[in-house]
Amino acid sequence: MSILQNFTLGQFVPSDSFVHRLDPRSKFLFLLVYAVVVFLSNQIWLYAVFTAILIFSLRLSKLSLAYIFRGLKPVWFLLVFTIILQLFLTKGGEVYVQWGWFSIEEDGVRQAFFIAMRLGLIVVMSSLLTLTTSPMDLTDGIEKMLGPFKKIGLPVHELALMLSIAIRFIPTLLEETDKIMKAQMSRGANFESGGMISRAKAMIAIVIPLFVSAFRRAEDLALAMEARGYRGDVGRTKLRQLAFSYRDGLVIVFMILMVVAVGVWRV
Amino acid sequence: MQISFENVSYVYGKGTPFEKAAISDVSFSIPSGSFVGVIGQTGSGKSTLIQHVNGLLKPSAGTIRVGEIAITPETKKVHSLRSKVGLVFQYPEHQLFEETVIQDVMYGPLNFDLPKDLAYQRAKEALEIVGLPFEEIKDRSPFHLSGGQMRRVAIAGVLAMQPKVLVLDEPTAGLDPAGRKAILNGIYQIHKAEQLTTLLVTHSMEEVARYADQLLVLANGRVAMQGTPEEVFSKKEELRELALDVPETVSFVHRLNERLPKDQQLSPTLYKEEDLTAYLLTLLQQKKGEGR
Repeated sequence: MSILQNFTLGQFVPSDSFVHRLDPRSKFLFLLVYAVVVFLSNQIWLYAVFTAILIFSLRLSKLSLAYIFRGLKPVWFLLVFTIILQLFLTKGGEVYVQWGWFSIEEDGVRQAFFIAMRLGLIVVMSSLLTLTTSPMDLTDGIEKMLGPFKKIGLPVHELALMLSIAIRFIPTLLEETDKIMKAQMSRGANFESGGMISRAKAMIAIVIPLFVSAFRRAEDLALAMEARGYRGDVGRTKLRQLAFSYRDGLVIVFMILMVVAVGVWRV
Repeated sequence: MQISFENVSYVYGKGTPFEKAAISDVSFSIPSGSFVGVIGQTGSGKSTLIQHVNGLLKPSAGTIRVGEIAITPETKKVHSLRSKVGLVFQYPEHQLFEETVIQDVMYGPLNFDLPKDLAYQRAKEALEIVGLPFEEIKDRSPFHLSGGQMRRVAIAGVLAMQPKVLVLDEPTAGLDPAGRKAILNGIYQIHKAEQLTTLLVTHSMEEVARYADQLLVLANGRVAMQGTPEEVFSKKEELRELALDVPETVSFVHRLNERLPKDQQLSPTLYKEEDLTAYLLTLLQQKKGEGR
C-alpha cells in the first residue's frame, strides 16, 4: 500500500474538537468567505491577521501540524513555481537586483508575497475543512446548501451522491491499483525503468484492468442500491440531521466581523 | 528451488500513525519440490508473506532465500527472481488486459525477453495445462469468457513464464466445486511434472489435505506450526485455538476411533479422502468375507 501513503492531502482524521463538531455548512461558508477576503486584501498587516486566524483554527482542530504540512507536499511545487514567476515577470517600482535581462523589482516582490500568502493560506484552510469533516458530512452539507437550486432544476441530490461515491471510492481504487501493479510486476512488467514510451505502454496493463474493475464496481453498487429500494431523494430521510449549534453562531459572528474589517480597511 | 525465510519481518506504513507489523520474525525453510499449504485466519499475514517470495515486498528485516538468490532490506534488483517465481494473486482474472487470450498469456514471457515464437509455444502449453481448448479460445477477448475461464487464462499467464516456484493465493476462491477441482488438479500435475516448489494459500483444509505434503500455519504474523499434514492435523486443539479446523476426513477418523476398540483404531495418516475411502472399503470387504 505504498501509493496510499502519498495521498494524505486533506484525508479526514476522525477526532473530537471544536472544528470537528462544527456544522459542515458553517465550515464551508467560512472557508468560502475566508478565501474571498484573503484574495481581496492588499495590505501586508491584514495577511498577518489572516495567518493568525489560520493558526488559531489549526490549534482549535487539535491536529498535529506535522501531519498537516506533510499532506501539503504536492502543493509546494506549485507555490514555488508561482512565486518565481511573479518575482521575475512583474515589473514596476524600485529595481532591487539586475542581471542582464533579469531583474527583480519592487512590484514583483510585492506580488510574489501576496500570491504566496494567498495560495498558502487558502490551501491550508481548505485542507483543514476536509481534514476535520467526514466525506459524508461534507456532501450532506453541500446538498443542504445547494438545496434552493433544486427549484430551478439542478439535480442537487444526485450531484451530492456522485461526489460522496467518488470520495468513497478513492481508497478502494488506490488499493486496486496497487494490487494490479503488483500482479503485472509479477508477470515481469517494469514500471520503474525504461524510456517514456515503454513506460506509457506498461501503464496500459494497469489502466485497462482498473477501468474494467471500476465499471464492475459501479454496476454492483447500482444493483445493490436498487435492490434496497433506492430511487433518488424523493421521500428519503437522513440518518443524521445537520443542526447548527452555538459554535456555528460564534463562527458566523466572527466571519461577519472579518468581512466588515476587511471592507473598512481595504479602502 | 529451495525457499527459506530467516527472521523476516515486514512493517506496513513505517513512520506514519498507521504503522502495523504484518509479519514478525518469521523463519522457516521449504525443501525444493515440496507442495506447501499455507493456512491461517484472515489477517494472519499470509498474503504479505507470499509477496516476499518474488520480491514484491522487501523485508523490513531479515533475509529470504529463493534458490541462489537472497533478498534483504537493501536488495534493489528483483527482475530475474520474478521469472523464477510465478505468483498468482487472489482473483487473478482482474489482471487480464489484452485484446485476445493468447496475447494476455504471452505478456509474461515477452516481458522476460523471450522470442515471440517461443512465447507463443509456451502460452499454448500453459493454456492446455489449465484445460482450455487452445484453438477455440486463443483469439477471443478475455473479457468475454466466463468467470472460471478467465481465472484459468490468468493462471495460464503465470504458468507460461515456466517458473520454478509457483505461489498461489486462494486460486479457487469463488469457484464452483468442479472448477476448483479442475484448477487444483491441473496445478498439481504441473507441480509433479516440472518438479516445482509450490505454495498454496487457502482457507480450505480439504484442499491442503488433498495436495500438500508440508503445512505452514500462520497466526498474528508469526509461524504457529509447521510440519507434515499428519503432524499438524494431530494438534486439533491448537488449531481450534487459532480459529482453524481439521479436514472432515480427520474429524471423521477421530470420531470413528472414539467408538472403535483399541486394536482396530484407524491410522491418523488417513487424512486424504481417497486413502480413507480405499481403506474403509477394504475393511468392509474383509468383513463381508468373514461373514460368509
